[in-house]
Amino acid sequence: MKKFLALLLAAIMVLALAACTKPGTNPNSGKDSIAVCLASEPDTIDPALNSAVDGATLLCHLFSGLAKWAQDKDGKLVIVPDAAKELVEGVANADGTVTYTYTLRDGLKWSDGKDVTAKDFEFAWNRAASAALGADYGYMFEVVAGYDEVSAADDEGKPVNPDAKLNIKAVDDKTFEVTLYNAVSYWNELLAFPTFFPVREDVVSNESWATEAATYVSNGPYTMTGWDHNSVITLEKNEHFVDADNITMKKIEFFLSDDENNMVANFKNGTWQLIDGVPTNEMATLKADYPDEYKVVGQIGTYYVCWNVNEQILPASAGLTGAEAENARAEIRNAITLLFDRNYIVEAIAQGGQVPASSFVAMGMTNPDGSEFYKTAGHNEGFVGYYDVAKESFENNYKAAVETLKKYYSFDEASQKFTDFPTLTYLYNTSEGHKAIGEYLQAQLAQLGITMNLENQEWATFLNTRKQGNYSIARNGWVADYNDPICFLDMWTTESGNNDVQFGREAHASAAVYSLDLTDLGYDTKVENGTWAETYDVLIKAIKGCTDNEKRYELMHRAEDLLMSTGCICPIYYYTDIYMISKDVQGFFCNPLGYKYFMYCTFGK
Amino acid sequence: MNSKTAFYIIKRILLAILTVWIVITVTFFVMHAVPGGPFMSEKAISPAAQAALEAKYGLDKPLMTQYGTYLRDIVTKFDFGPSLKQRGRMVIDVIGDGMKTSVKLGVVAAVLAAVIGIVLGAVAALRRNKLIDKIIMVITTAFVSMPSFIMGSLLLIIFAIKLGWLPANGAAKGGLVLPIITLSLYPMAYITRLTRSSMLDVLGQDYIRTAKAKGVSGTKIIFGHALKNSLIPVITYFGPMLAYIVTGSLVVERIFAVPGIGRAFVSSITNRDYPMVMGTTIVLAVLIVVMNLVSDIMYKIVDPRINLE
Repeated sequence: MKKFLALLLAAIMVLALAACTKPGTNPNSGKDSIAVCLASEPDTIDPALNSAVDGATLLCHLFSGLAKWAQDKDGKLVIVPDAAKELVEGVANADGTVTYTYTLRDGLKWSDGKDVTAKDFEFAWNRAASAALGADYGYMFEVVAGYDEVSAADDEGKPVNPDAKLNIKAVDDKTFEVTLYNAVSYWNELLAFPTFFPVREDVVSNESWATEAATYVSNGPYTMTGWDHNSVITLEKNEHFVDADNITMKKIEFFLSDDENNMVANFKNGTWQLIDGVPTNEMATLKADYPDEYKVVGQIGTYYVCWNVNEQILPASAGLTGAEAENARAEIRNAITLLFDRNYIVEAIAQGGQVPASSFVAMGMTNPDGSEFYKTAGHNEGFVGYYDVAKESFENNYKAAVETLKKYYSFDEASQKFTDFPTLTYLYNTSEGHKAIGEYLQAQLAQLGITMNLENQEWATFLNTRKQGNYSIARNGWVADYNDPICFLDMWTTESGNNDVQFGREAHASAAVYSLDLTDLGYDTKVENGTWAETYDVLIKAIKGCTDNEKRYELMHRAEDLLMSTGCICPIYYYTDIYMISKDVQGFFCNPLGYKYFMYCTFGK
Repeated sequence: MNSKTAFYIIKRILLAILTVWIVITVTFFVMHAVPGGPFMSEKAISPAAQAALEAKYGLDKPLMTQYGTYLRDIVTKFDFGPSLKQRGRMVIDVIGDGMKTSVKLGVVAAVLAAVIGIVLGAVAALRRNKLIDKIIMVITTAFVSMPSFIMGSLLLIIFAIKLGWLPANGAAKGGLVLPIITLSLYPMAYITRLTRSSMLDVLGQDYIRTAKAKGVSGTKIIFGHALKNSLIPVITYFGPMLAYIVTGSLVVERIFAVPGIGRAFVSSITNRDYPMVMGTTIVLAVLIVVMNLVSDIMYKIVDPRINLE
């Protein structure tokens, strides 16, 4: 028996050894089709309904909007005209609105041969914005005049004007006119966003049009030639596309899988040339084994922890009420923010090349002068953001935080622990990664005698609990939809559906502790000791109505200052996107929102 | 088939229908009791859009009305409704797509496990304590004790990455080979061991000795008497084996990215895609109920001594 086992073991070892040798030829040389895997089966690839990054990547290959993302000669990402002849400047109207008149390029065709007209854009935009469609990204049209009427709803959520339309018009087949409430700096970028892509009325009248290749009609560089559900979506070059000469990749196969281990297996054996995800526990090995193929790029998003603003965290002995209590809580929360070593989290736990965060608006957003928004946040000398996130500053931050907390809680010098900090509960959605970070936060607080229990909930339950404010502290994260800080800031207004912190709600509605002075910017807003609604909401409204870009960014910085002063947002890190791409692929690029572009790819020799 | 058997079968079918109805009812109400809804996402949609969607899919109606409508559509029209997440697709199509692959995977794995398991088990029993018996026993012990996610990953690394003989992607040509092997190894090993011990038991019985004494040929003893009787415990195992294959395929489908029903089942729950949750649950419940019924009836055919009551 023993002899047999030894033989078996030896056989396995020989097999494993033999398996270690790899063939040395490049099987990809000169190929004009690429196989990639971004995610599992998309929920939808109707441009109006899609809200996922992988879906957006597919749509950018299938459709051609008024504008698109492209790489210029130096490899810089720019927005260029696509279906529009040029990206025109707006013309101001007497009532403050701005009108843009676009002319469509000649020879635009749908994949079934019909002409693309301005009417298709008009129809598509009105459809995408309508409450009846209920698209996740319907609100992207909020800058377009008429959206307020379209989205108005009564107390029960019923639309007030079911027939309302956006202020957009197809003047003739080639001319498309759009009126915005006011000029917005990111307008051209919105034109490149999939929600703004055209669809044709007769095509989408079939509700299932976007679920099979046979009924899928698009107007972009590729047409969908096959969709084997849960398995693969095949795109082939559309020879009728006006720019077809510049499209180098003939065929793209999007394999549909979200198992990261399986993705890595298919990448390693050469089946897939790009995979958009790797398992956390293999990151270090893959990075070492595939230095040229393992890519980490910034993503405009922040991983953070949020407090419920109404959570009572003061000890009974503090005896504070009203405004004093509110300010004390803000100070405590801000102190707790300093107790976490973000460098440790990024290096030892998350391991994905993330960047330690010291502000809420993510890295990757730019000021009008081209400088990075996050680098001018916080207005502090010597460091970036609202606290110094440098490794060597952690110890000092920690000490300062403990001193602050001592003002409110009893501290036992012998054990170096607080004795009367109320027990907290940290809510996160079930995932090993979130759990590991939660455990670190828990351990840091436990060192100071603060008990924080961990509670995990499955995703949809978690979202529900967090939205309703039934938590004390929760994991949170936000990824930008377009390159403008407002998409990080307008979510915290009192009425916003994403106001998980519950600013301006319940007890916090009457907390009059915030000040706002915009007189130096030419506004007559000056509020002292105002409520959240009187300050933050007013500020966001001012930002949305501001047409002076310099001023607008200053207002946005102030909004973030006000937000961060509450201590309710504890940024952890800025997200990164990790993918692996075969070193044989050239001409690939990825935009700041994480969309990946394969149309200009080629295979080297 | 006598009237007693027929009565038994009818009774079992009625019971099966009752079971499925209970599964439907419990799933329906538990599903709606869980917090969160299908239109909830990290980025909140407007209340107007939320209301419009709920009205469109009838989720604004009282729960009992929704339940009534659902049951009526299932029974009268076999209509499982539209998916709430994969907009524009019908639940029955999504399930149909997934089942095509999952059924292939499951059936081949089950047949493979049964055929190879029985043969190996019989060989081991007939060559008891010889080298071949020992080899079979060592290997089957290893397979029985190794969970499918480890076995799957191991096969993936060796055959798909290192040797590159088979694809790692279950949707590719030949992609089902590795998932089928992974899925069948455990039941195969189990059946081997079951057949071996049951065969040894049978071979020691008096009637085999009598047959030998009467000069019946070895082949006839093995196939005519021993094998048939030693299969009864194996048939008992078919029910649990099916349950293993159904649940095991959820894991195996993930490892090999097989486009089966597994992912639809799991993601429908996370997505609160109510019609999809109902659809997949009903299909799996029916499958298990039917297979158990078939397995019970098979006992009767193989061994008439078994009293169905």
